[in-house]
Amino acid sequence: MQTFVTEAIEWPESAPALRRKVRDLVDAHGEKDPVRRANCWTKADPEFSRKLGEAGLLGMTWPKEYGGHEMSQLERYVVIEELLAAGAPVGAHWIADRQSGPLLLRLGNEELKRRWVPGMARGEIFACIGLSEPNSGSDLASVRTSARRDGDEWVINGQKVWTTGAHVAHMMIALVRSEAGSERQAGLSQFVIPMDAPGVTVKPIIDLTGAHEFNEVFFEDVRLPASALLGEEGNGWKQATAELSLERSGPERYLSSMVLFLELVRYAGKHPDPAVTQLVGRLAAEAWTLRLMSASVAAKLARREDPALEATIVKDLGNSYEHAIPELVQACVEMDMASKDALAAVTGYLLQVSPSFSLRGGTREILKGIIARGLGLR
Amino acid sequence: MTDTRRMLAEMADPLFAELGASATFERDWSRVEELGLPQLLLPEAEGGFGGNWEDALVVFRLAGFHALSLPLPEAIIATRADAGSEEHFLIGAFMRTAQIAGALDAALGLSVSYVNERQQFGRQLGKFQAVQQSLASFACEAAAANCAAVGAAQALDRGDARFEVAAAKLRANRAVGIGATVAHQVHGAIGFTHEYPLHHLTRSLWKWRSDFGNDSHWSAVLGEAVIAQGADAFWPALVERTDRAA
Ligand SMILES: Cc1cc2nc3c(=O)[nH]c(=O)nc-3n(C[C@H](O)[C@H](O)[C@H](O)COP(=O)(O)OP(=O)(O)OC[C@H]3O[C@@H](n4cnc5c(N)ncnc54)[C@H](O)[C@@H]3O)c2cc1C
Repeated sequence: MQTFVTEAIEWPESAPALRRKVRDLVDAHGEKDPVRRANCWTKADPEFSRKLGEAGLLGMTWPKEYGGHEMSQLERYVVIEELLAAGAPVGAHWIADRQSGPLLLRLGNEELKRRWVPGMARGEIFACIGLSEPNSGSDLASVRTSARRDGDEWVINGQKVWTTGAHVAHMMIALVRSEAGSERQAGLSQFVIPMDAPGVTVKPIIDLTGAHEFNEVFFEDVRLPASALLGEEGNGWKQATAELSLERSGPERYLSSMVLFLELVRYAGKHPDPAVTQLVGRLAAEAWTLRLMSASVAAKLARREDPALEATIVKDLGNSYEHAIPELVQACVEMDMASKDALAAVTGYLLQVSPSFSLRGGTREILKGIIARGLGLR
Repeated sequence: MTDTRRMLAEMADPLFAELGASATFERDWSRVEELGLPQLLLPEAEGGFGGNWEDALVVFRLAGFHALSLPLPEAIIATRADAGSEEHFLIGAFMRTAQIAGALDAALGLSVSYVNERQQFGRQLGKFQAVQQSLASFACEAAAANCAAVGAAQALDRGDARFEVAAAKLRANRAVGIGATVAHQVHGAIGFTHEYPLHHLTRSLWKWRSDFGNDSHWSAVLGEAVIAQGADAFWPALVERTDRAA
């Protein structure tokens, strides 16, 4: 039984130049605070996103016709891993670049593509994901937000929750029940909802660190034209689960705590201690392995294979890793958690946000269920 | 997979499956010699196979997978470095990493088939969520060990692979703990018997974890290297190692 077949990855020749370009951009933007650089893909900074767009580093694989740059999946991979390793504030455009843009290009009609995609590639249009609802988290097939047809239009009613970036986003791709009385996976469709449409209300949810990253979104008789239907009516479940492969496969799923690892290396250079040295070694080995695994998934996507199982494995291992780093650092190094010292400050911050790592994008238990299915157990 | 590697696999897989844990040197060594496998890494000019480390990975992994009780992997690396040398220690660590990867995949396969057959409480064990979750964790560890082995082989083929082999052996060693524990747990008492084949895999796994550097050895080696390099150099150095392959 081999669950993860790895082939040699053909790294792009342009990689060194792309890395340099990203590093220069991040340096020039100047975010030095290590706490701000940890878990950076949740930190929205529209100005930085626009700069990336200007530099041609968003929508990298998309057709030129829609503002993209027709580069390879692995060139994009190189850019995003550089951004994350540098702790750049990529949160504003992250969802559009990673999943909403590709989804629109694959399934959207001409009107949807023209309206949204070029702006995403410029770093000016941001997206959010409308999957979760108050009673539909892990059990996503139980969504109840509804789309009712009224002449040429669709009328949306209901509520989404935990919507990351809904307050900065211009559009949401939402999974809703488009067939009244349908059950579970059947009768669901995806719609593109402009966040400024009348009847859409966004209410902030403040997280346990006091930050505002996710929201509740309410829909009250939101009227959408027929063209807002994404893909096929009734095929929403299939479309949304394919989207999750994109959501789970990226390097963001193991790099959230990278900044803390680097702070640990800095500390170890000044305070030699065999226990710290060994911890650095263990964490480095894991980072190296996860990078390979994550890049293999990108290489599979580039070959147009479906890496759903591999992506799930990488997310699960990656989440465990980024979750473990703050715990291990705290257990290994004596520190005063109230101090302003970089190591303590990043550890403290990551301990508080780390519960989210194995929730966002699918919980650990749900991922393990998917892996078990891949093993032929369900 | 390249054609050479596919051919190697097609040659080694059935033979190792047949010989497996019951092979003896006296009776069976000639079989692997006939195929030229001990000379896998020797250049063709020297009468060898002219293989590289990724080819060796295929053979080492299958030896681990089938719990092959012949010192074939050892013979293969002996053509590259003398026992006791630093080079030999490094390629020995790679060899064990590849064997661990193969043995973990085999133990995972055995465990999955077992829970799909064995019934308790009126259903297959594999239908219980707790059992599924343990095996999913095991699958993740086996995947990591396999990926690490591939990464180390590729680095050896590129040249200096001290970082990659160290990281891969350490990662594979860590996978052994969860893999062997879950495999035995889901098998219940039958897995603890001499008659059942699981122990051929797990006893090797436990042994290999100590061969050519245990966790504390490799974590110290890697940790020292990373710290000496400095925090700001970690990521650039890591990615440069693969970029150079382009
Ligand atoms: C930071 C953050 C950002 C997010 N961003 C978004 C977003 O942008 N868009 C969006 O749509 N959603 C988003 N989510 C929501 C996220 O996808 C859900 O939190 C997640 O799917 C879990 O759903 P829940 O919170 O309702 O938990 P529940 O489904 O209530 O689950 C609670 C616990 O029970 C476990 N559990 C549930 N069912 C089972 C089962 N069958 N077997 C075993 N265990 C089970 C779960 O694994 C979990 O541990 C975000 C979440 C977080 C934390």
